[in-house]
Amino acid sequence: MEKKRLSEEGLGPELERLLARVSPPKAPAWFAAKTLARLREEEARKDRGRFRLVGWRWAWAAGAAALVAGWILWDRPKAGPEISDAAVFAALDALVEQDEENRWWAGL
Amino acid sequence: MARIVERDEEAFRVLVERHQDRVYGTVARMLGGAGSDSEEVAQDVFLRVWKSAGIYRAEGKFTSWLMMIVRNQVFTRMGRRKRRKDIDGQDLVDAETGESVLDSHPDSATRLPLEALSFKELQKAVEEACAELPDNQRLVVHLRQYEGLEFEEIGKITGQSLTAVKALMFRAREKLKKKLSGYLGASK
Repeated sequence: MEKKRLSEEGLGPELERLLARVSPPKAPAWFAAKTLARLREEEARKDRGRFRLVGWRWAWAAGAAALVAGWILWDRPKAGPEISDAAVFAALDALVEQDEENRWWAGL
Repeated sequence: MARIVERDEEAFRVLVERHQDRVYGTVARMLGGAGSDSEEVAQDVFLRVWKSAGIYRAEGKFTSWLMMIVRNQVFTRMGRRKRRKDIDGQDLVDAETGESVLDSHPDSATRLPLEALSFKELQKAVEEACAELPDNQRLVVHLRQYEGLEFEEIGKITGQSLTAVKALMFRAREKLKKKLSGYLGASK
């Protein structure tokens, strides 16, 4: 009964027998070797791609760093001449003195 | 598989040699014959195994997982082929019945006399009859007939319910019976 049910669910004994005479093709003898060769080729290509990507990353990073450094250097405030407080006061004193002298000559 | 996860090429070679006939046979049956196309797709299957080894879970049967990859790769290739054929306007296949819309070839099973039956002719007739089945039916027939898988397992591979798998098998059987009616008596 079980056998009959299985047979009904499958192709049936006649068709099964017929199809069994024609088995699917087998892999060619070189199949495994070719598959391994392709695997190695793809892995090597992947490694090369990765290296190339790393190279590009370095190029991008170096370019970006150069741009940032240039911008910082360009934007930096220029250092002017340094004047000490004493020199400023001395100059002011000289101006006041000069003004007083001018007033005296003018009779003011 | 654990060794393949660790990128052991020797383990991979052993796996290929163990399963190559199963994979190549299924791919060739699905794509309509042996050849460079079948060889390439079968290689794609094993390369996919290598790439996806990390996500394989040992709970299920390895062959089921392998056949799932076979199915995906084969269906992807067939989709590409169909798109190409649609563009070229050649050999259009009815998506519902799987029969060629432009089919002008006489049925080889009825064309050949039974007494002149040779293995080559039988092979040709069986291959043609299988090739004319819709993709899903052809896969179910192959997995059941040549891989000896249970319907539950076939359901997991094809992503269909048990009832759907049995229905596909029934329809395939009826079509094959019709196509190969000339040979059925001679197979005993």
